[in-house]
Amino acid sequence: MHLNTQRLLARHVWHTVFRNRAVFWLFGLVGLVAGYAAWSGWTTFRQQKASQHYYQQEARRDWLSNPDKHPHRMAHYGHFAFRRPSPLSLFDPGMDRFLGNAIYLEAHKQNTVNFSEAGFSTGLMRFGDLSIAMLLQLLLPLLIFFLGAGSIAADRENGTLRLLLSQGVSWTNLLLGNSLGLFMVGLTLLAPLLVVAAVLWLMAQSGAPSVDEVIRFGLLIGFYGLYLALCCVVAVLVSAWSRTTKTALVSLIGLWLMTTIVLPRASQALGTYVYGLPSKTEFQTAIQADISKEGDSHNPDDPHYKSLKDSLITAYGVKTTDELPFNYSGYVMAEGEEISAAIYNQHYNTLLERFRQQNQFARATAFLNPYLALKNLSMALAGTDFLSYVDFQQQAETYRYELAQKMNELQMHHIPNKKLGPTEKAYSIDRKYWQDVPDFTDRPLSVGQVLPAEWVSVVAFGAWLLLLTFLVHRAAHRLTAV
Amino acid sequence: MLNLLFRSFIRSMGVKIGLGFLFLAGLVSLLIGRQFLDRQARNSRDVIAAQRVDLERHARFHPDEIGLVLYYAQFALVNQTPALAGLSIGQRDVNPSIQRVTIRGLEAQKYDADLNNPTNLLLGNIDFSFVLIYLFPLLIIAFTYSAISEERENGTWRMVAVQSRNLLGFIAQLFLVRLAVVLSLLLVLLGLAVVVLGIPLDGPFFLFAGTSVGYVLVWFGLCFWVASLHRPSGTNAVLLITIWLVLLLILPAGINQYMLSRYPLPEALATTVKQRKGYHEKWDMPKEPTVAKFYAHYPQFRPFGIPNTTFNWLWYYAMQQMGDDESARESGELRQKLQQREAVSHAFGLLIPSLHAQLQLNELAQSGLGNQLRFLDETTRFHERLRLYFYPKIFSNYPVKAERWDRHTVKTFSDCSPIRAGYVLLPPMLFGLLFGGLGWLNFRRNLYVL
Repeated sequence: MHLNTQRLLARHVWHTVFRNRAVFWLFGLVGLVAGYAAWSGWTTFRQQKASQHYYQQEARRDWLSNPDKHPHRMAHYGHFAFRRPSPLSLFDPGMDRFLGNAIYLEAHKQNTVNFSEAGFSTGLMRFGDLSIAMLLQLLLPLLIFFLGAGSIAADRENGTLRLLLSQGVSWTNLLLGNSLGLFMVGLTLLAPLLVVAAVLWLMAQSGAPSVDEVIRFGLLIGFYGLYLALCCVVAVLVSAWSRTTKTALVSLIGLWLMTTIVLPRASQALGTYVYGLPSKTEFQTAIQADISKEGDSHNPDDPHYKSLKDSLITAYGVKTTDELPFNYSGYVMAEGEEISAAIYNQHYNTLLERFRQQNQFARATAFLNPYLALKNLSMALAGTDFLSYVDFQQQAETYRYELAQKMNELQMHHIPNKKLGPTEKAYSIDRKYWQDVPDFTDRPLSVGQVLPAEWVSVVAFGAWLLLLTFLVHRAAHRLTAV
Repeated sequence: MLNLLFRSFIRSMGVKIGLGFLFLAGLVSLLIGRQFLDRQARNSRDVIAAQRVDLERHARFHPDEIGLVLYYAQFALVNQTPALAGLSIGQRDVNPSIQRVTIRGLEAQKYDADLNNPTNLLLGNIDFSFVLIYLFPLLIIAFTYSAISEERENGTWRMVAVQSRNLLGFIAQLFLVRLAVVLSLLLVLLGLAVVVLGIPLDGPFFLFAGTSVGYVLVWFGLCFWVASLHRPSGTNAVLLITIWLVLLLILPAGINQYMLSRYPLPEALATTVKQRKGYHEKWDMPKEPTVAKFYAHYPQFRPFGIPNTTFNWLWYYAMQQMGDDESARESGELRQKLQQREAVSHAFGLLIPSLHAQLQLNELAQSGLGNQLRFLDETTRFHERLRLYFYPKIFSNYPVKAERWDRHTVKTFSDCSPIRAGYVLLPPMLFGLLFGGLGWLNFRRNLYVL
């Protein structure tokens, strides 16, 4: 009986919505935008992937084609790491455009990840990104609000609400039935858009998608479905509480603007205001200061390296470092690399901690604002969030460190200790060693690592579902027909 | 009459809340602008101090080899941040306003990114331009969407129509009152901005204010036109919010997407890969051809000849130079593509008021891509000047101690590109007039359709 009434009410919502000509126009518009977003997203994705792939290979070819030479020259030759777009970035580009795409990996120096799309963009970039995820996060809720504003308020205005209630339809049925109807209407957009997303996602895969990828996509479908349901219930609740359709509509539009436009920026601005970032100069100066304290291999009078030298000479029972059984400057550079990398990482982690502090307000507002909860979750699952980026950066840094140390090791064992005269030919080692360094390949995080990091958003989602259930329950007892 | 209309409008609670909210948002934006300017100033101070200390240290560590000192020494160029940038931060939070370069290959250093939190970039700033471009239209919509339709819905419009001698004038006054209130708020905020951010009252500021007023006029024009369609309040609200959505989210994002796919930048990666090879491969080649190419580029250094030591700084900097010279084509293509992106955005801006406002505000505040490109060009010239100054000193092994390192202070770039007032102000004025005019015609045609 319950279910039947609800279904009846839902069908009524469906019919009312689709009787309106304007709705087809709106849906058509969204469809058109989605089509364009998919097409242009695919074009950019393919271009990016192709050029990234091409130059990654070229960089590797350049590395391998080096002739016999001194290993330290190769440590400076270095390598590049280019960030690969994730297949799901087609669905939700997330932060992608604001993240650097290429990093040069060389000895002694941690370079920045350069060439972000945003750095090469006009002010246009800041209006946002057109993607299927954007349509589902921003446009679909607004559409649901437009269509749902009148769901109960209109019945109240024209008096049918009283009739319905007097016929024994309960408030719970009324609220749920209307929400269900709206949800069905929403599905007519959500489902095709997710199908488009699925097609793009499959096209972006090389071969069959991995289990990890399938889980990611499945979770995305689940969360977007929940978000739609959430929006429908909110629309119906606001409509039920409002005297007229107009007030319901204005309240819902206000709510939408606050959650999607004002709150995200405001909460992030608060974080940035409270927790300042060091300037790049300050960051680099602090690292340099720590290195000088610990031991600067570029300072000829550095005490750390003096004592290192003395201890080596004593341990090996030699008079000068030239008599050591390995290349002394290779040893010094390995030590220097270890010290500077550890200090850099320590400072970099402090910086990341600062970012986290800046972000915490926006993260916490997920409890006030389901839009942000969904946005964060969606980015994380699509592999376009900050966590995935930091992971890429760390993999690149690990590669850089290993490459530099491998070259130092080669130098220690294959380069003679004797200093050459100014016109003698420089030492070199065989080029076969270049192959011992593998190419850089990044392994994306697994969904098992990504999801726990987003626990706040998942919990916020749960809290919202509970809250709405509670509100529906409460409303069912409080609401009146007039 | 006008007085009465004003009082009845301003007395409404909703209007007060709306104005209060926007005023507050405006104040917040000014605080954020202040913080941004302070941060920029601090960055400059930091780099000035760091450059002095670092140069002194490098000179102390390597007293006999100026070539080695210049291997390490970094020289900074600061892109001056005008106070107006506090109102429209634009791309200044993405792109570094300071370049610190050594005289080695420029292409490997030119595009170094700043330290920034990508979440901040993604969610965006609440600067004044955001308040103006996103929030002001919402206030205008809220003030006007039911200005006439509500009277009709409440049945009071008939009375107004019958009693008023000049109904069209009455409608105009209804909108003018609202326009005056919104413009006053805008001007109050801009006045406060002058004080809080210390903005000089010069041409760019007045054009900035003019662009802002123009943008508000566009939205009043649009709202006036929608009101003239004689629809119920609910429909007006939906229609106006949809227009807002299209102008502020869909069209800009769509055009941005178009630019990304139309002007992709594989040249960025090409330049960086090419410059590495261009420099490094010279280590394995005979010195003569490299130095010969270097002398072809800089014939004035020919007298230094080719030293016959295994390693020497002349050869080293010639190799570094080859990294830049051999990637010059890709680098030029990259620059050209970026300029295309900039030009095409501006062309689209002529048709889309929201884009135009944002791009012009950024341009006036020197925080757009145009300024960034000019800064990059200046960086190239700055780097070249450094090279030309130091090359002969390195090649003749000038004594490190004789060089006055403290004279190498941080340099500043001030962008003096010309501003075309007509180009900035005309498009919004025309849009405002167009929609206002269309609305006027509609009202005249259906004036007494009650």
